[in-house]
Amino acid sequence: MYLGKTVEELHELLVSKKVTPLELTKEAIEALKKEETNAIETICEKEALEFAATLVEPEVDNLFWGIPYVAKDNFSTKDILTTASSEILKDYVPVYDATVITKLKEAKAVLIAKSTLDELAMGGTGTTGHKGTTYNPYDPTHTYKIGGSSCGSASLTAQGIVPFALGSDTGDSVRKPASYAGLVGFKPTWGRISRYGLFPFAPSLDHVAYFTRSVKDSAALLEVLAGEDLAHDATCSVKPVEKYTEGLTGDLKGKKIARIKEIDESVKDKVILEGLDKVQKALEEAGATVEEVNFDQKLLAAVYPAYMIISCAEATSNNANLDGIKFGPRVGEASSYQDVMMNARTNGFSELIRRRFVIGSYSLFKANQEELFLRAQKVRRLIVNKTNEILSQYDAILTPCGGIVRNPFASNSDDVSDRLDIHTIIVENHLGIGNFGGFPSISVPMGLDNGFPFACNIMTKVFTEKETLNIAYAIEKKLGLKNLSTMEVK
Amino acid sequence: MNFEAVIGIEIHVEMKTNSKSFSGGPVKFGQEPNTLVAPLDMAFPGTMPILNKQVVINAIRVSNALNMTIDHELWFDRKNYFYSDLPKGFQITQDKRPIGSNGSLTVKLSDGRLKTIEIERLHIEEDTCKQLHLDDITLVDYNRAGTPLIEIVSRPNIRSGEEAMKYVETIRQIVVFAGVSDGKMEEGSMRCDVNVSVRPFGSDKFGTKVEVKNLNSVANVRTAIDYEVERQTKLILSGGAVEQETRRFDEKTQTTIMMRKKTDAVDYKYFTEPNILPIRLSDEFIQNAIDTCPELASSKQERYTSNGLSDEEADQMLQNLLMADYLDECIKVNPKHTKLFWNWITGEATAFLNKKFQSFDKFKVTPDNLEKLINMVENGTLSMKMARQVFEVMCEENKDAEQIASDLGLKQDSNEDEIKKIVEATVDEFPQAVVDFKAGKDRAVGFIVGQIMKKTKGKVNPQIASKLVLEALKSR
Amino acid sequence: MVKYDLDLLKKCANNLMFDMSNDQYNVLLKEFDVLTKQMEVLGEIDGVNDVEPMTFPYPVYTTYLREDVAETPLSKKEALRNAKDVEDGQIVLPKVVG
Ligand SMILES: [Mg+2]
Ligand SMILES: [Zn+2]
Repeated sequence: MYLGKTVEELHELLVSKKVTPLELTKEAIEALKKEETNAIETICEKEALEFAATLVEPEVDNLFWGIPYVAKDNFSTKDILTTASSEILKDYVPVYDATVITKLKEAKAVLIAKSTLDELAMGGTGTTGHKGTTYNPYDPTHTYKIGGSSCGSASLTAQGIVPFALGSDTGDSVRKPASYAGLVGFKPTWGRISRYGLFPFAPSLDHVAYFTRSVKDSAALLEVLAGEDLAHDATCSVKPVEKYTEGLTGDLKGKKIARIKEIDESVKDKVILEGLDKVQKALEEAGATVEEVNFDQKLLAAVYPAYMIISCAEATSNNANLDGIKFGPRVGEASSYQDVMMNARTNGFSELIRRRFVIGSYSLFKANQEELFLRAQKVRRLIVNKTNEILSQYDAILTPCGGIVRNPFASNSDDVSDRLDIHTIIVENHLGIGNFGGFPSISVPMGLDNGFPFACNIMTKVFTEKETLNIAYAIEKKLGLKNLSTMEVK
Repeated sequence: MNFEAVIGIEIHVEMKTNSKSFSGGPVKFGQEPNTLVAPLDMAFPGTMPILNKQVVINAIRVSNALNMTIDHELWFDRKNYFYSDLPKGFQITQDKRPIGSNGSLTVKLSDGRLKTIEIERLHIEEDTCKQLHLDDITLVDYNRAGTPLIEIVSRPNIRSGEEAMKYVETIRQIVVFAGVSDGKMEEGSMRCDVNVSVRPFGSDKFGTKVEVKNLNSVANVRTAIDYEVERQTKLILSGGAVEQETRRFDEKTQTTIMMRKKTDAVDYKYFTEPNILPIRLSDEFIQNAIDTCPELASSKQERYTSNGLSDEEADQMLQNLLMADYLDECIKVNPKHTKLFWNWITGEATAFLNKKFQSFDKFKVTPDNLEKLINMVENGTLSMKMARQVFEVMCEENKDAEQIASDLGLKQDSNEDEIKKIVEATVDEFPQAVVDFKAGKDRAVGFIVGQIMKKTKGKVNPQIASKLVLEALKSR
Repeated sequence: MVKYDLDLLKKCANNLMFDMSNDQYNVLLKEFDVLTKQMEVLGEIDGVNDVEPMTFPYPVYTTYLREDVAETPLSKKEALRNAKDVEDGQIVLPKVVG
């Protein structure tokens, strides 16, 4: 039984030859076949077993040698079905590998499955994939969400089947589910990891992000994934990749950390506030000072509408390539190219996606841009400016990931609605600030409530991943909430 | 009422780079369908655009030739629309910040007048797929998808078909000579759309404009505009109104034909391309692109005329880049012979290549050897007639001109003593010529020279012969 | 701003090459009401008209340009692998007119 272990632990077993990559892979695939949260699009059984069988001589200095992992099904994988959990791509087989897939292949990690997501990553509920809802493994009653859009990757990592999983994060799509799944969810700086091969949702907000069950694994993984990719993604930074693992001291002497008054005030569950206080205490014990600062309630409430407009607008355009001509299904009778497109897109996208595309398109009309798209982009700048102002005084910002520990399916957060009060809007959407400004942002477990995990979030200045990770490491160390999985907690 | 035409022109120029605007897909023409495709060209999900350096260099060179302001920071936008030939569902272009802006081009009209045409913008973009329309289906080939384009948009201060034609012709010459494009309008590597409207003279309002597409030759640009101006003028004079529509030029009837009425303008929902960071161009980069630009026609023209060619002769040379390149090689060998080279190139060489359906890059005669031939004529070793014979052989195989002449036994007699003997003998034969000469009839000289040529089968150097005949006649 | 109603939303959707049911358009109409109201509020935020729209998350530029070298293209088989209707190595569409 090697499930439920971290990368670090598995690596020890692999190099001491207590287990082989093939044995690990087999075990993980068996577990995938039995998993019950509807988290998988494709199990890459044949490819994974073949690859694992080639891994014979352990690489002592390569932490990821022979480690099984899963990737969200919006990463392009050559010769492996990639659906983005959408009907319009249900039979799409890519001709090339995403850069992160290539890098992990080179590190000899073993891709064992493609995981479910909210359709085209455009959702936060884990309910809109073409195969239906993905459940939270912590909740056998299927009442509470795991969140999305990286729901499948979150669930499979939380079940201990894999020690890490790739996801993508445009608004909070890794960091929010990480909270509901008791995982470390990290989204480094925009441009730190190549996005080549990640199916775009909103490129100016999209990030490659990932789940691990320890901060150290998260730091180690960044060393593998980060770095320039001039041949494929020129938005990816050429800044040198740092030794993130070497920055993990847990020592926060002299660090100043801010808590945002308006966000904390919007929290509903008292447990979460208590958790935050515990985290504050841990940070202080590690040498940091923690202070409360004001952001601006209006700006915080503006994150959600600005996010909706920008992300929908970009998404409308990015997904215009899905027209049923070059790939995707040809459905029904067609007497014109317009028919081909209409059939493919009407049947290929769920209702939610189509509504979002109309919103995005309308925001981009020449006559509307000033009051919608450009206004949202201006608000984005104000919010980022305000954040940078705080980050010029503080090393990091500490927030909760959301306002409640358990988030029931009944509250459909994907519908645009005015039923929500300003506090809910603020506390459930503020992680989007990390995408607006491209800040490194990490979710770390801070507590368990009736068997349900919940996390806090640390955000720092762009390209200070060493700082982000070390603060998260200090929290993990003090709270001892490391390597959580449903195997342990149940 | 007198009318004035208001004409604006949009030109798309397809570049002949090695790879596409934003992908490494190869740019080639006439290849098997769907064999020049990179993942981005087919808009496979997750692919991202990476801008081609040569595309920028080309755009800078053309912008410079058109006296434009060159932007030091490149920004790109998406132009969003759905069409069967548009793989991504948007075109990457430069809407808000074109690389070149506010340019002008001065052209010379047939009456000698100079006209300066203002140019609004030059921007970088990418081509669409090629569609083959059969009886009941359309076949789509992605080879062309992503091929680099520049679009050049004039201001509407063109006033006639002739001005338009000269403008297009000059731009064609610029992009061809700068090595940016093959400029073949008939094959679609340069595509023109013109907007034509008319208004009463003196009015500063614009009339309703009509767009004319499908102009696949420089001549058609003029014909279509002239036709359209006349059509619109007549329409207004007969009490009608011009409608906003798109027309196409019909080759057969030499008229324009309505394609579709223009309804509301399409909203392209432009926004900044989020996958291309702003790209800063250094002064050095821009200057270097300009400095290393292949010589343009205007500069060649100046050089040729200063080497003794007339304007018309220089122009003729500039009709063909490969021919001009060949002349330039010749000029390098001996600039003093520019006119003589020109004679050979536009005369015998062109005739030979035309016969063989070849172009000047395939021409076997090296400039050195041609110079040798010219010298042999100059120093009297060969007559022009002999030189032509030698040249014919040179065209087939570039053997040394002197060698060929000796192989063919061609040599002109330039020995004055020898010639003198023949001259004396001939003058003796025709005493009437002496009488005529004394009577002031100069043609006697020519008569005697002609007799000498006949007698010697043209092997005597005619210049020396005339000189000696003149002396002989004078001395009698 | 363009006034929206059911007809406009339908036109907008059709321009995006899909359709929806009437019920769905009605849901969308409600979403439009909420969002446009929220965006109006955003227009009143202090200083919103004093800043430039933000496209990239932080001030960033590059000087990188790709060398003009052709890469090996996809094989025809790969390029057309996902296309559902292929004839003579090309993708087939109903005849495109206009
Ligand atoms: Mg145009
Ligand atoms: Zn264009």
